[in-house]
Amino acid sequence: MKELRRHIRLVGLCLMGLFGLWMLYFCYSTYFYGGRWFANPYNTRISSKKQSVIAGTITDAAGEVLAYTDAAGERHYAQDEATRRAVSHVVGDDGAKVANGVETFHAQYLLGFNSNVLERLADVIRGQQQRGDDIQLTISAELSRTIAEAFPEGRLGAVVVLNYRTGDVLAMVSKGDFDPENMDEALANEEAGALVNRATQGLYPPGSVFKIVTLASALSSMPGVEERTFLCTGQLAVDRSVVTDAGDAVHGEQTLVQAFSNSCNNVFASLALDLGYQTLGLTAQTMGFNDNFLFRDLVVYNSSYPIDDKSLDDLAWSGVGQGRVLVTPLHMAMIAGAVANDGQMMEPRLLKAVVTPQGQTRSRLSGSAVYAEAMTPQVAQIIADYMVTTVQGGTARQAAISGYRVGGKTGSAEASDDKTIDTHAWFAGFVQDDEHPLAVAVVVEFGGSGGSVAAPLARIALEKAISLGL
Amino acid sequence: MRKRPVRTPIRSLVAVIMLFEMLAFLLVALHPERQETEALQALGLALCMPALCWFSTLILPKFLHADRLLMALMNFLCGVGVVILFSMVPDRGVRQAMFYALGLVAMAVCILLVRHVRSWRALCWLIIPAGLALLVLPLAFGSWQNGAKNWVSVPWLGSFQPSEVVKLMLVVVLAYFFSAHRTFLQMMPAIVFTGGCLLLLMLQRDLGTALMYYFTALILFYAASGNVPLTVLAMGGGAGAAVVGYNMFAHVKVRVAMWRNPWSDALGSGYQIIQALLAIGSGGLLGVGLGLGEPRVIPAYYTDFVFAVICEQFGIAFGVCVVAVYVLIMLRGLSLALRARRSFLALLALGCAALLGVQTFVIIGGVIKLIPLTGITMPFISYGGTSMVSCMGLMGFLQGISSRVREDLAKDIEMTGAREEAGVS
Repeated sequence: MKELRRHIRLVGLCLMGLFGLWMLYFCYSTYFYGGRWFANPYNTRISSKKQSVIAGTITDAAGEVLAYTDAAGERHYAQDEATRRAVSHVVGDDGAKVANGVETFHAQYLLGFNSNVLERLADVIRGQQQRGDDIQLTISAELSRTIAEAFPEGRLGAVVVLNYRTGDVLAMVSKGDFDPENMDEALANEEAGALVNRATQGLYPPGSVFKIVTLASALSSMPGVEERTFLCTGQLAVDRSVVTDAGDAVHGEQTLVQAFSNSCNNVFASLALDLGYQTLGLTAQTMGFNDNFLFRDLVVYNSSYPIDDKSLDDLAWSGVGQGRVLVTPLHMAMIAGAVANDGQMMEPRLLKAVVTPQGQTRSRLSGSAVYAEAMTPQVAQIIADYMVTTVQGGTARQAAISGYRVGGKTGSAEASDDKTIDTHAWFAGFVQDDEHPLAVAVVVEFGGSGGSVAAPLARIALEKAISLGL
Repeated sequence: MRKRPVRTPIRSLVAVIMLFEMLAFLLVALHPERQETEALQALGLALCMPALCWFSTLILPKFLHADRLLMALMNFLCGVGVVILFSMVPDRGVRQAMFYALGLVAMAVCILLVRHVRSWRALCWLIIPAGLALLVLPLAFGSWQNGAKNWVSVPWLGSFQPSEVVKLMLVVVLAYFFSAHRTFLQMMPAIVFTGGCLLLLMLQRDLGTALMYYFTALILFYAASGNVPLTVLAMGGGAGAAVVGYNMFAHVKVRVAMWRNPWSDALGSGYQIIQALLAIGSGGLLGVGLGLGEPRVIPAYYTDFVFAVICEQFGIAFGVCVVAVYVLIMLRGLSLALRARRSFLALLALGCAALLGVQTFVIIGGVIKLIPLTGITMPFISYGGTSMVSCMGLMGFLQGISSRVREDLAKDIEMTGAREEAGVS
C-alpha cells in the first residue's frame, strides 16, 4: 500500500503539471493573442455588433476627423479624397477588407466591447443606443497628405515617420492606396495590392540600409575596427559568387566611415564574413529580426534574417542586406530611431487616446515602452555620427536639412518582378533633435537609386514634420 | 463527550451555487426575444435546478454517506452546463436538465455498487464480454457521423454512445485486476480488455476516446505495478500507435496540421478551432454576458466547444475558475485514493480521477490549441445523455469510495475509543 500511495502521488503530480501547463498557456495566449483573435476579419461578431452600436469617431493627433458615423448610422471617412487616401491603410475600412486597420484592429474600442457593466447599464437605463469610444491616433493627417503628394507618381511603396523617443507613429503612408468611400473600385483593383499596408506588411530586401546592422555588429564585436583601412577592388570573390558594387564602382582604400558613407558592398560583405553568421545573426536578432512582433497598437509582419549558415555567399550577401534578409519599412524606421535614441528601440504606438462617449479619456492602457535595447549608447553614438556623415557628404546628401542634425543611410535593394531585376529605393534616417525626435524610413518599389529617389522624399517628410512642430 | 459539529462552509457554497443558477435562469427568462413557453421553462428550471443542487448536496449524502464538497463542485459544473445550453438552445437545456437528474440516479446506483458489491471478481468477468459487445454495437448498427462511427440509436432511449458507458466498466476492470493480482500474467485480463476496447475504438475512428482510455490504463498500470520499464514500453507503444494513426488516417493529419497552423485554412478545416479562439478573444476577461455574443457560429458549440462558449459569455477569468473546479474534483479524487484502505478502492478512485482529468485536459487543451483537437465531451457540461450519465457514474464511484473510507475511519475511532475505555493503550 505504501508503494501504491507513492505512485498515486507521482501520478497526481503529473496530472497537476498538465493542468498547470494548460493554465500558463491559456493565460499567455489570451493575453498576447486575445486582442488579435478578436480583431480578426473572420470574427463575425464585429460586423453584427455594428448593427446595434454607433461606432466611435477616429481623429488624428490634431483632432482632424478621419472616420465617423453619421446620423443614419452610415460610416464615413475624411472630407477630401486626398486625406482619405493618405491615411487609408492606417484607418482601414468599414467592411474589414484591409487587414488590421484601426477600424478592425481597434474595433473593441470603437464598438464599445471594452465598456464595463456600469456603462452598459447606464445606456440601457437612458434608453440610448450604445455608443463606442472615440479614438485619437498619433498620426498627423497633414503630414500624411504631404508625403502622399510628394510620393513619386504611379509608384508603389511606403513611408513611415516615428517619434523615436515615444515610439508614436506620426505618419504611415502606403502606396498604392484606396478610397474607403469607394470600396467597389478598390476591390476591383485588388490585384494591384492597393489594400496591403506596405509599411507594416511589406517585406522588402533592405539592401544597403541593412549596413546599419552590420556596422553595429562590427563596432560591438571587433575592437579597433574604426581605425582599420579597407581596400575595395570593386570585386570580392566569395565561394561561388562575386560581390560587386552598384555601378561597378571601385572605392579603393577607405576607412570604415568612408566605406559606410560610400555604401561600399565590398567592405561590408567582407565584414560580414569576418563576423560570421552567428555574431551578425545575434546583432540582427537584438534589433528585432526573427522576433514575433506583438505590439499592442498595430500588427507588424515579422522581419527575417537567415541564421541557418547556408553558405559563405549567403552570409556575404546578408551583410549587405540582400539574399534572404527581409524587413518592413516600419521596422527599418524603428532601427534608425534606435540609433538616434542611444540604442533604445521604442515600441511603435498608434493610439494617442481613447475617449468615452461622455468625453472622459480612458486611462491609456499603458504609456511608451522600450521594445529592445538594440545597441549600446556608445555604438549608437558612432553609428549616428556615421549616418550624419553620410548625409553631409555621402550617398544621402539629398536628405540634408539646413540647421538640423540629419543622419541617414540609403539603399538600392535588388529585387525581381518576374521579368527584370530592378532596385527598390530605400532610405532610413533620423533628425537628432530634442524638439523634433524624428525617425523615418522610405521605400519606393523599383524606384531606382535610394540616394536620388528615397532621400529627397525623406527630406520632404522630415521638413514638414518639423514645420508642424512634431 | 459529544462536541457540537463544526459549521462547514459547505452550506454557503451550496447557497452561492443555487443563487447563481437561479439568477442565471431568471436572466435568460427575461431575454426580450424569448418566447413565452421558453420563458416558462426557464422559470421552471430556475426552481428545479437549485432544488436538485440542494437535494443532492445536502440531503442525499445523509442517506448515502457521500462527500458533500465533491457533490457541490459537480453540481456547479452541471449547473453551468444547463445554463449555457439553455441560453443557446432552450430545448437542449431542458433535456440536459433531465439527463442531469438521470445522472444523479446513476450516481446513486454507483454509490450503492461500491458500498454493497461483495464479489467484484464475478462482476468483472461479467463486464468484460458485455463491454466489448457494447463497443461492437456502433460498428454493426451505427452510421458514420463526423468521420466517426460511435453512436447507435436505440428505440425508447434515442441515440446512445456505448464508449461512454464502457468508460465506467474499464475503470472497474482495471482497478480490480491490477489490485488483486500483482504479476504481469495475472493482470492480463485487464490489459487484454483495454487492448480490445482500444482496437474497437480505432475501428470506430473515435480516437479522442481511445486516447482517454489509453492514458487511464497507463496511469493505473504504473500506479499498481510501479514497473517503470514496462510503463515506458507501453508509452512507446502508444507513441508508435499515434504515428501509425497519423499516417493511416487522413483526418488525423488534417487535425495535426490545423493544430500547428489553423490560419492556413481558416474557412475550411481550421474553421472550428479558429471560431473557438475568436469566441475566447471576443469574451475578454469578464465576458460579454449570458445570452449575448454569438456562440452559435462556433461548430459543435453545445458539445466539444462548450468551453469556448463559456469563455465568451462569462469571460476568461470564469473559464479559468471552471477549470480550477475540475482540478479540485481531481485533487479530491486523488486524496481519496491516498486515504483508501484497500488497494482496489485506491486504484478505483485514482482511475476515476485520472479519467476525468485526462478527458477534461484533452478537450480543453484542444479548444485552446495547446494540443491537436480530438472530439470528446467536456465532463458534466457538454450536452449529451450518455456523457452526463457516465461522468456522474464515475462521480458515484468516488462518492462510494469516500463513504467506505469514512466508515473505516469511524470503525478505527470506535475501536481505539473502546480500547481506551477498557484501559488498554
